[in-house]
Amino acid sequence: MHAVRTAWRITRLNIRAQMEYRVEFLLNIAIGAIWQVSVIVFATVLLARFSGMGGWDSSEVLLIPATRMLAHGLFVLFLGRMHGIGRFVQEGKIDIYLVRPLPVHRQVQLEYFPTNAIGDLTVAAGLMAGALGRSHLDWTAGRVTYLVVCLIGGMLLEAALFTAVACASLRFPAAGYWGRWLEELLGTFGSYPLNVLPKAVGGLLTFGLPLAFVAYFPAAVLTGHGHDTGVPYWLAAASPLLGVLAYLAARLLWRWSLDHYTGVNG
Amino acid sequence: MSGSIEVRGLSRAFRSTVRRPGFAGALRSLIDPERVTKYAVSDITFDVAPGELLALLGPNGAGKSTTIKILTGILTPTAGEARVAGVVPYQERERNARNIGAVFGQRTQLWWDLPVRESFAILRDIYEVPRAEHAARLREFDDLLELSAFWDTRVRHLSLGQRVRCDLAAALLHDPPVVFLDEPTIGMDVVVKEQVREFLRHQVEQRGRTVLLTTHDMTEVERLAERVVLVNHGRLVLDGTLDEIRRTYGSTWQVRVTLADAHAAVVPLPGIALLGRDGPRAVFGPDGSGAPTVHQALKAVIERYEVTDVAIDEADLEDVMRAAYVHAGPAVEEA
Amino acid sequence: MAVLHAWRAARVTPLGELHAPPRMTAALVRLVVQVVLVASLWNGLYAHAGPTAGLSRDQAVSYAVLAVLASRLRELDQYAGRDTVLQHMHFGTIVYWYLRPLPPARYHALRALGEQVYGAAWALAGYAVCLATGVVRPPESALVAGVFVVSLLLGQLVLYFVMLLLDQMCFWTLRNNAAMLILVFAQNLLSGVYAPLWFFPGWFRAMSAFLPFQATLSVPLSLYVGRIRPADAAGQLAIQAAWAVLLFLLTRFLWRRAARRVISQGG
Repeated sequence: MHAVRTAWRITRLNIRAQMEYRVEFLLNIAIGAIWQVSVIVFATVLLARFSGMGGWDSSEVLLIPATRMLAHGLFVLFLGRMHGIGRFVQEGKIDIYLVRPLPVHRQVQLEYFPTNAIGDLTVAAGLMAGALGRSHLDWTAGRVTYLVVCLIGGMLLEAALFTAVACASLRFPAAGYWGRWLEELLGTFGSYPLNVLPKAVGGLLTFGLPLAFVAYFPAAVLTGHGHDTGVPYWLAAASPLLGVLAYLAARLLWRWSLDHYTGVNG
Repeated sequence: MSGSIEVRGLSRAFRSTVRRPGFAGALRSLIDPERVTKYAVSDITFDVAPGELLALLGPNGAGKSTTIKILTGILTPTAGEARVAGVVPYQERERNARNIGAVFGQRTQLWWDLPVRESFAILRDIYEVPRAEHAARLREFDDLLELSAFWDTRVRHLSLGQRVRCDLAAALLHDPPVVFLDEPTIGMDVVVKEQVREFLRHQVEQRGRTVLLTTHDMTEVERLAERVVLVNHGRLVLDGTLDEIRRTYGSTWQVRVTLADAHAAVVPLPGIALLGRDGPRAVFGPDGSGAPTVHQALKAVIERYEVTDVAIDEADLEDVMRAAYVHAGPAVEEA
Repeated sequence: MAVLHAWRAARVTPLGELHAPPRMTAALVRLVVQVVLVASLWNGLYAHAGPTAGLSRDQAVSYAVLAVLASRLRELDQYAGRDTVLQHMHFGTIVYWYLRPLPPARYHALRALGEQVYGAAWALAGYAVCLATGVVRPPESALVAGVFVVSLLLGQLVLYFVMLLLDQMCFWTLRNNAAMLILVFAQNLLSGVYAPLWFFPGWFRAMSAFLPFQATLSVPLSLYVGRIRPADAAGQLAIQAAWAVLLFLLTRFLWRRAARRVISQGG
């Protein structure tokens, strides 16, 4: 309880801090609007042009970007900030965190308030509402529950990936480069049914970079395409569980990396 | 080289936004910011002669950095005038840039990702320094600062002491007659500090450069500066030699003696107070504003009493400066 | 002498990369993976469809792959080199830009030129490989190739000014990280890096016609794949040139304001 109160108090301070930079704060809100339009247009443009993509009808495909974006928005709100690690290392912030009586991970999360997450979540919620509205599926309690579980799983999986990058950043500050690429890959390739890609490439995005588990597999299971994703049905259906496991593993890796953290410039 | 610095009635006001407290206050400030004007520097006048090293002293926030920024041309004064080597820096920034070198202690001008020597080469070409001259000067700097041990290292991997030594070299590579150093030795170990001081002394005495230095390190001031300018709350408080400062603020000395006769009667002397007496031991201190110097007092005490042992405690420069900082006038502020 | 400092400033960022081999490896891996992914995606999308939005499968794949290669042109990591305007503002080292006898605007431009030339070497090598493996089709004629090169150069000029605008924003808002990411995304989206602009709805294209982003990449690539005929090229080139001039004037004005801001606040 104490931890939650502390977190909430710091978050409120952070929101205030964001307002201190007047232009920046207003700009973030204004630019949020551009972002919203861009993302929705981007997510829908290919669906409109290539109906029946990968054997999915367009209302079904829409569920993929909606799931991905909502999971992404939740990630930015609750577990984002891991992108900044390279910078925190360079600025010596990690060293400051290490001497405070709070877990470093929590301090990183409380470093600043992600104003942009509000924009992300608004778009994502809108897109999800649109996707559910157009959907011909019967949204039983079971389906809705599975969707919610998958959103959390997707958030955790994305968080796991960025936490892993953050661990690398603790040692090599330049690893932030991979983080930016990861973000771009998730944003672009996370929104299609991956069975349009050649098997090898799809496999790369499933087992190399587990991007398929964020939204594609959950959406496939929900829409009844779960048997033709190229992986066993049980594996696709277990996506949220994989998210949880990946996140736990990432946190272990984080703890190990912190123990081996040596700082910069001696 | 004729690198004189002339500062006449220099003032600089800043307008800033007052942040209201609380969440609602932050929201209000967002819509209707409240602004106030503050003077960072107010009516400052001083000169630095060519080939002189002047220490600009004052507590944090006294206006030292603001003065240096104006003299380097990156800040315009709101009133007054400044000339550096005959150029008004904020009017002819680029012309001034060729005449000056500057190091802001905690900020580096070196390229973070490149070996130090690349930074030197970039600066050489930016300042259009002939190659032979550049090489010769680099050799000179290397002799004094031992740069070659790490000048092929990328800046990101240098220690603070190494980096600032490189920054010093970088600032002087184009042979500027005037050099501005804003806390150059901050955070350095004693060995490196001494090396940097030696380097600066060499630059002033052998190369005839004019140096304006700010620092909080009083040892540095004692070793380097004949003359100091003291500012506080944006105003010039004192312009003179270290001795003058000592005389003005440093009247805290003590003479401790052990009397040959433990029961002798001890009375205060003119301008000298008896601060304590414990058997044969007696302590004297200055009495009032007309007090003698510690040396005069010592002489007077020895002449008057028979003593077996004597010790003097003189306030060191740091004590003197503390007295000066506390003494100096109130904040200059206007709504 | 002017040539010398130009050369020094231009090689700052590439040299930083050459001193960090892991970064070069990363760039290579990323370029290869991205080309493979993009080529697979567009081949996959066209697997069950005929020409769409006026683009055949070959045109779409060429367009998309060239977009990936072109984005390599300015992909150098200034951030790792602590040499972005944002970082200089943050660390206060921007004052040194104003303490040198080289105007900050010229230093910024020279450095960008170096980065673009270096990036171009990478892009050209990638292009040669893609051409040899048949991923990208060669241009239809020498005329198309010539017009494309002119348009690409103009596009890079416009892109430089757009990125410069982002940098200049840092003089007014110290923390434009979020804005930066979003504008980079907008730049990628509206210039056709993610998907050719031809696929977007009419209103979206109409809107982007009023923005400078399409002039950076979409126009030269459309010329290359023949979606814009050489006969219509003149108008497009004129629009690109107009953007370049307009943005040049705007950024020049902003440089002056930035300088005034620096010297009124002291960096």
